[in-house]
Amino acid sequence: MITVSNLTFSYGEQNVLEDVSFRADAGELLCVLGPNGVGKSTLFRCILGLESKYRGTIVCAGEDTRKIPADKLARMIAYVPQSHSPSFNYSVFDMVLMGTTAHVGGFASPGKAQTELAEKALETVGIAHLAYRGYQRISGGERQLTLVARSLAQQARLIIMDEPTANLDYGNGLRVLKQVKDLAASGLAVIQSTHNPDHAFLFADRVLALKDGAVAAEGKPVGTVTEELIESLYGIKSRVREFDGQHRVYPLL
Amino acid sequence: MNERQISAKRYALVVILLTLLLVAAVFVSFGIGRYKITPATLLEAVWAKFAEKVNPLLTKLFHLRIVAPEVNVSVNAIVWNSRFPRVIMACLVGCCLSGAGASYQGVFQNPMASPDILGASSGAGMGASLAILLQLGAKMTMVFAFVASIGAIALVMLVSRAARGSRVLRIILAGIMVSSLCNAVTSFIKLIADPNNILPAITFWMMGSLAKTRASSLGFTMLPMAAGIIPLILIRWRINLLTLSDDEAKTMGVNVPRVRLTVIVCATLVTAAAVSVSGLIGWVGLVVPHLCRKLVGSNYKRLLPVSLIGGAVFMLLVDDVSRNLLRTEIPIGILTAVIGAPFFLWLITRKSEVV
Repeated sequence: MITVSNLTFSYGEQNVLEDVSFRADAGELLCVLGPNGVGKSTLFRCILGLESKYRGTIVCAGEDTRKIPADKLARMIAYVPQSHSPSFNYSVFDMVLMGTTAHVGGFASPGKAQTELAEKALETVGIAHLAYRGYQRISGGERQLTLVARSLAQQARLIIMDEPTANLDYGNGLRVLKQVKDLAASGLAVIQSTHNPDHAFLFADRVLALKDGAVAAEGKPVGTVTEELIESLYGIKSRVREFDGQHRVYPLL
Repeated sequence: MNERQISAKRYALVVILLTLLLVAAVFVSFGIGRYKITPATLLEAVWAKFAEKVNPLLTKLFHLRIVAPEVNVSVNAIVWNSRFPRVIMACLVGCCLSGAGASYQGVFQNPMASPDILGASSGAGMGASLAILLQLGAKMTMVFAFVASIGAIALVMLVSRAARGSRVLRIILAGIMVSSLCNAVTSFIKLIADPNNILPAITFWMMGSLAKTRASSLGFTMLPMAAGIIPLILIRWRINLLTLSDDEAKTMGVNVPRVRLTVIVCATLVTAAAVSVSGLIGWVGLVVPHLCRKLVGSNYKRLLPVSLIGGAVFMLLVDDVSRNLLRTEIPIGILTAVIGAPFFLWLITRKSEVV
């Protein structure tokens, strides 16, 4: 689906990303781990075409993303930001419908086909009952699900999520991630950053760990997320243990 | 019937009702005044005019002619020379200010933005005062106001291009700066203007009025208005995406700088066209789009058309009050402020209620 090769990005003199290479395939949820400021967001901005002054290549569906025009790129890669609060109170339905913009002409509004896509996306993430509620009035978890639905309506094959659970409570966070996991299982590629290594064990098919802008480890969660990795990334001693067939990180404070 | 159909029905209903209200307001506006004209007389006058225009052609082609009633000469003069240009102009100006306000609010992601946020009004005020000072006549006053208004915005865009920081913020800051520059020039012109005839003329222009509308100025304003409103209507769906963050809009396939520039240029064009004929009429661009949001929601696909019709209705009604409330006409800018300022207070105190 997407192949990142030797990606190096710098702000001025300082390298934010250094020689990062990895790939993400359809049907796979790739979890990006790393401390604050390690360059996860920059990596995502490069993939999404928001930054173009990098060295290396990002190839999506066989094409260099830098050469793909914005509207076509939007039909390939969708972005799910952290839940936010826009200035105007759009209905949840309108918010999702905005995702279909890349599929309509510059002077046109979404039509019947796009309306159906938006309705289907709302049903897929299980918030069809909220369609005509105001986006500003629903809970943080519901907003995040709305943005996930929007990325589905965008019909991209790759979805990029920047810490989708950062502003959510325990339950909402897990519900959103469960939903995202199901989407990946249905054939989409999902790249998601997270602060919680347990999320890698719970939801990820593969893990990409970044340290100081470079890849520190990559692979299946079990075996990649180790006590050494946690200490090296976050400076926290921990035990990684299996319980009921599931691995978890138990921090030692 | 599901919720989507209900919301579509509601939109259709709002458009129909507002259109009916607009038609009613047009009849009322033609009718009231020092000389009352009944709807029947008005229709007769329109029919007679239509016959007068069409008959030569009909006679030539088919040897036919439409029978039309005789219309009193003074009725004809009032309907066509006085009320017709004014009614049409009120509709156009209301339409423009309200549409421009709604558009600016989207582009600047700020529900409190109004058509004069970038200094279009201050620029027009400066141009108009200069023309009045030089005694160039009504037509040149209009041209000066229009050109100065566009010039002010061009300066804003140039300055904001050079400045650093968030794009939206620096456009607004540049707008404030250019506005205050224009206001300073206007103040200076007022200072040196002859206080017996020129200063009052400038002051009156600044208050905003449709009283001096002539049929000839309709053509002058309609062209830039159409040139601005039509593209805005065409790209209105994309204005929705500008209300989100730039990055979000871009990852959804929108060419953000291009769409934003298009909206600003078009909204500025219609604002300049409106203020150059009407003077400074505030609040319309703030009040009407907010009322319309309450009626049909935030989606520009519905909001913009409703704001356009709503602006026309609002301006017509306020203009009727302005020419009929007292024996002498009240400048319309004063009335819109009297209505707008309390509305603004209500808006900021009950912000959570505004959809």
